[in-house]
Amino acid sequence: MLQLRSVTKRYGALVALHDVSLDLAPGEFFGLLGPNGAGKSTTMALIAGLREPDSGTLALDGQPLSAASSTARLALGLVPQHIALYPELSAEQNLRIFGELYGLHGRELRARIDDALTAVQLHERRREPIKQYSGGMQRRLNLVAALLHRPKLLLCDEPTVGVDPQSRLAIFEYLERCNREGLTIIYSTHYMEEATRLCSRIGIIDQGRILALGSLEELLQRLPFEEEIRFPATPATDPLADQIRPHGELTTLDHQHRFRPRPDFRLSAFFAAAEALGLPPRLFTSQRPTLEAVFLHLTGRNLRE
Amino acid sequence: MRPLLALLRKDFLNFFRSKAAVSLTFLTPFAMIYLFGQIFGVNRKDSGPSGIPLAVVNASGNPAGDRLIAALRNERSFRVVTEYVLPDKSRRPLTEADLKPLMQKPGADFRFAVVLPADLVSDSSFGLHLKFLSNPRNEIETQTVNGLLQKTIFSHVPELLGQSLQARAKKFLGEARLDQFNRALAGVVSSSFGGDRAEIDRQLAAGDFGIGELMRGRRGTGGAAADGKAESGGDVFSQLVRIETEQVVGAKVRSPQATGLVGGWAIQFLLFALSASATSLFRERDAGLFQRLLASPVTRAQILWSKFLYGVALGVVQLLVLFVAAGSLLGIEVLPYLPLLTLVCLFAAAACTSFGMLLAAISSSPEAASGLATFLIMLMSGIGGAWFPISLLPEFIQQFSRLTLVYWSMEGFSGVLWARHGLLQLLPTLGILAGITAIVMTIAVWRFNRGKIFG
Repeated sequence: MLQLRSVTKRYGALVALHDVSLDLAPGEFFGLLGPNGAGKSTTMALIAGLREPDSGTLALDGQPLSAASSTARLALGLVPQHIALYPELSAEQNLRIFGELYGLHGRELRARIDDALTAVQLHERRREPIKQYSGGMQRRLNLVAALLHRPKLLLCDEPTVGVDPQSRLAIFEYLERCNREGLTIIYSTHYMEEATRLCSRIGIIDQGRILALGSLEELLQRLPFEEEIRFPATPATDPLADQIRPHGELTTLDHQHRFRPRPDFRLSAFFAAAEALGLPPRLFTSQRPTLEAVFLHLTGRNLRE
Repeated sequence: MRPLLALLRKDFLNFFRSKAAVSLTFLTPFAMIYLFGQIFGVNRKDSGPSGIPLAVVNASGNPAGDRLIAALRNERSFRVVTEYVLPDKSRRPLTEADLKPLMQKPGADFRFAVVLPADLVSDSSFGLHLKFLSNPRNEIETQTVNGLLQKTIFSHVPELLGQSLQARAKKFLGEARLDQFNRALAGVVSSSFGGDRAEIDRQLAAGDFGIGELMRGRRGTGGAAADGKAESGGDVFSQLVRIETEQVVGAKVRSPQATGLVGGWAIQFLLFALSASATSLFRERDAGLFQRLLASPVTRAQILWSKFLYGVALGVVQLLVLFVAAGSLLGIEVLPYLPLLTLVCLFAAAACTSFGMLLAAISSSPEAASGLATFLIMLMSGIGGAWFPISLLPEFIQQFSRLTLVYWSMEGFSGVLWARHGLLQLLPTLGILAGITAIVMTIAVWRFNRGKIFG
């Protein structure tokens, strides 16, 4: 459905995107995950036609995507990172404006506004100026404003920033419902749990390059370990730490050892060693690696600009 | 105390971060002080008004009239116009018949005219006859011109009065007896005070009794006292000089003072209002609204032109409300001219809106736009004539007056309310306002496409 081919975008000397290629199938819920300044927003801006690439091509259903292509834009919906709504106007008035920009009018527009407001539980307060809404309510409206014209592809640029858990849940459920109904979604975020919950495929982007691409399971397989065993870092456990160190990656953080065994290491050997040292089983917890582990593994721990 | 100092430091840091705010803080006072200094002639060698266009027609054929015109030319406050430029660029002397049409046309080259008529010196009555035509649109300028004209004319009155006396004597005595009288008088003067009898006789016959020379000599000695006496002399002569005045434009205007001023008020009000509304572009940018709009089937040009049209509509409404208020509160006649006034408001609002758009296009932040707006609006109002007649400014600054939208908007408003121009007469002014709008909007759109407002 969406194809990016060798897309490069520069801002002066800074290369924001470097030779990025990406294919999205219809109905995908694609997560674009990356630290600040990784190139997520630039990718979104290029797909939305807000900017032109320096090189490479973008196409939606075979039609080139560009700033000048208004037909392609009819198939797109953008949920900006900001609450991009007119605060003095009511929810109904805001939706009417955005609906009309996409050529909707009359009874059809009214019906879609009603549906949208009902879906995000704002129908009761549809006539109030939205500046009187809570942050979560504004976020929900920000989302449905991009869906009124029923796009094929929805671009969500960190749509849950500063949202309370209830509104976040409502947004998730709404997006999942839309996705089930066939909407293709690109969801840019740096919240791992959001990508984990929502996305069928995830791209990890950093410094303008896509470092990894695949489903959560596929990404987890890129880690050089499958499990992580945690236990307290005390004098009693130090001998165990020394014994297992050659068999995997051992890190110590906040008085806790984290052991990520190599795939060929048998966990029974680990527990046998612990038992031999008289350490009780309650000291040990085993965890599956998370997306965060993959993310940090790929992008590193250095702070970003 | 420490929190107070920290907060104070924060404000100064923010201030010095904005290059525009810093430069305008220092630039605006300099520009304003310079402008006001020029107006009030502080440290200016050529203080006072300069280059006020004054048409002069000498229909008297009297050489003394030519000398009066020469004196007016020497008065640096005036730029004396005596020729009519024909469409083929050839010139001929102005006639009295030319004056009214030229003064009544929009954007007239002169608003004041003096006619020395054929009966400047009459043989039927003792005294002089002059005509003064005016378009007293601006009260300050009109009073200035009146004062300067009186000074110049009355310093040449004695010579002309002498001529009047001779003409009258000739009528009653006949030419032969008057010649005889003059020769006898010249003989008495010559024998009593010396001098060439024939020359004295010639001067008497020409009406030159030496009073004018005496008065000019006294004034030439300089000083306030000399000036004061000269003006006293002028007061005496003013009884003998009949100046026929005619207000060529705006004669029937009710509440003339307010009518002359309201255009300047209106345009300044509109400039401030619309430049403030242009900063809404920054608010929409910062809210991410442009991202959302540009992701929809909307172009940058459509966003800008919608802002422009909104500004124009708002401006027209605000101007009309202002004029209606001026009509009801100050007695300005507005309602009979509402259609034409609305048209001028439309073009003026378009020019002002384009100015606001340009401000937003060239500024990096709403604060910078606001500072720049204050500076430019004050500057344009000053040199465009909204505060005082532009003739009070040095001539090199006057060159820029006609480049301002303030000047042409005021021309439009006064054309409707003061000169009662019709649509055809207003077209040149409207065309210039449209031209200003087109040029400024072209620059603004070009800057918008290259600037950061849609970034």
